Amino acid sequence: MFGLSNMKRSTAGLVAVAGATSLLLAACSSSDTATTASSTTAGGACQGKTIAFVMGAVADPFFNAMKVGAQAEATAQGATLVWQGDKEYSAATQIPVLDQVLATNPSGLVLIPTDPVALQAGFDKAVAAGIPSALVDTKVNDISKAVTFITGDNTDGGTKAADAIATAIGYQDGQKYKVVVGLTSKTATTNVARLEGFQKAIAANYPGITIADIAYSESNSAKANTNVNNWLTKYPDLSGIFAIDGTNATGAAAALQAKGLTGKVALVGYDAYPDNVKLITDGVFTALIAQDPAAEAKQAIQSICTTIGGGTVTTKEVVIPNVVLDKNTSAADLTKYTYVA
Amino acid sequence: MSVATSAAPSKLKSFVSNQQFILFLVLLGMIGIFTAFNRIFFSVSVAGNVLADWGPLVLVALAETFVIVSGGIDLSVGSVCTLSGVVGAFAIRALTEGGMAPYLSLFIGALVCIGVGCIAGVINTLLINYAKLVPFIATLVTLGAAAGLALVFTGGGPIAGGPSQAIQLSVPWLGPISTPIIIVIVICFICWAFLHKSRFGRHTYSLGSNPFATRAAGISIAKQTAKIYVLSGALAGAAGMFFYLRLGSGAPSSGLGLELYAIAAVVIGGASLSGGSGRISGTVLGALILTTVTSGLIIVGVDPNWKQVVVAILIAAAVTIQGLRRSEGKAS
Repeated sequence: MFGLSNMKRSTAGLVAVAGATSLLLAACSSSDTATTASSTTAGGACQGKTIAFVMGAVADPFFNAMKVGAQAEATAQGATLVWQGDKEYSAATQIPVLDQVLATNPSGLVLIPTDPVALQAGFDKAVAAGIPSALVDTKVNDISKAVTFITGDNTDGGTKAADAIATAIGYQDGQKYKVVVGLTSKTATTNVARLEGFQKAIAANYPGITIADIAYSESNSAKANTNVNNWLTKYPDLSGIFAIDGTNATGAAAALQAKGLTGKVALVGYDAYPDNVKLITDGVFTALIAQDPAAEAKQAIQSICTTIGGGTVTTKEVVIPNVVLDKNTSAADLTKYTYVA
Repeated sequence: MSVATSAAPSKLKSFVSNQQFILFLVLLGMIGIFTAFNRIFFSVSVAGNVLADWGPLVLVALAETFVIVSGGIDLSVGSVCTLSGVVGAFAIRALTEGGMAPYLSLFIGALVCIGVGCIAGVINTLLINYAKLVPFIATLVTLGAAAGLALVFTGGGPIAGGPSQAIQLSVPWLGPISTPIIIVIVICFICWAFLHKSRFGRHTYSLGSNPFATRAAGISIAKQTAKIYVLSGALAGAAGMFFYLRLGSGAPSSGLGLELYAIAAVVIGGASLSGGSGRISGTVLGALILTTVTSGLIIVGVDPNWKQVVVAILIAAAVTIQGLRRSEGKAS
């Protein structure tokens, strides 16, 4: 304990010195120090710095697409990217990873918290250590000290999914329809926001639709597949499935195909995994809600570099809009919004 | 127990206290209870869902049976299943892009999966026989390495790009039974023959119940260990291919954690973790009970997290029954 707090104190001291030095250098260098979130390198403030990303489940192409964007931006800024996470999307496994990363004293931190309450302490610790810290995709409850919080518009994604399902099933007032929702996690803010958006849109605009069941697959496609298999049996009159993220979408698509129900049950997925995008043209997916993970990562790193360079990030919460990919989307757009693996 | 009983009642008694019979009753009981809550449970469709889950689980549990009967443990089966599926997916994608016929590419993919599993088995053997690690640690190492490699190779996402026949093969056509399930059933019979009707099987039991006597009898423990762990890896690889056919892609998360349910299936099936006892039929029924619970909870609408509670109760009951029977001097 005594040793640890010694290390923390000297770490904090080093960070303070490093921070002061870089501020001095930035002040002495050319005058185009960035002051907004969306500008480019702040006079090379990030040159030679280490930016750590601590993310959710490694086994998710959404995060991999984010990594591609993060790597590109880090290279452009001359910084080293440290990409860490656990294979499970859970706070219990993410907290030790975060602790480890903080112990290496990165120049900047981008956190994708798997739980808004459990990761608050770790996030606050990073901030207290003087590390400019940003949040991407999901957030912790108190983001007041974050450099910025960048996410896709998850509530809007849920709303768009409701619209897509209603259109696909030919919704008519007075008729009754059943849908199910497959999620990954009960607490991850992305999942919660998408579900809320979906539920509100259904309650407001499509009152004939009932959400018959909700289940969690913890980023495991096989689990999602099992859930959907059994739902398709339990609800023979099922109209639609909302698969709230990429792994659920993969599991649900396989289940529909195996049961020969493609086109008969509407399937709206989230995240433009390349293989799922292909299934739009095959008619397996009614629609996919595409985010822009590479843009989220890029903006997060830019904001951190701005802060390291002594600038101020004015846009504290950035919401990147979603795109709905369906059979009417042009081939060019499909390619543009597909996540790069 | 009185010795002076006629042949028929003692046969009945031994039949009734037979672990497999009890398991069968438990299975029927569960089906009955779930059906009582929701009639849809008793249907070909649910049976198909249960079997689809049972396929990969029983393969991995069969692997675990051989290892546990021999007195060892293989914690890597779930991760090896995942890694094999992923490597197989890459192979199938490459072959499909190269224009190979769909069923041939799937067949070769299956061989690749089993091959990767065998390699993992060889690594386990080397760690146990030469590095002298206890099986728990050796297979824990392989578990981590395999899971990690699966993520490294895939970058986190599923690997598809194979023929559409993959998912089509998983469609049941013989009632609730699909072609992959038929293959799994055949594998169950082959494993039954290996464990119960062959010298390899006898040596496996011997190793588990008395390694010293086994060595004294001139059986090479190193060779036997090698065969067992490579077989375990091969079965885990086959499970990986099964997941590929079900999902149409190799996902780096499919088999993770499966080893715990595999061990649960083996224990529920009547095997002792200290080795020397256990039967293929028990494992098959144990795995079937577990997947029935999974589907049952979803169909009935109970929080699926109850599954873990149910599994714990089943394990406790199985171990208790086995303990009681052992203290009565009955052979397992």
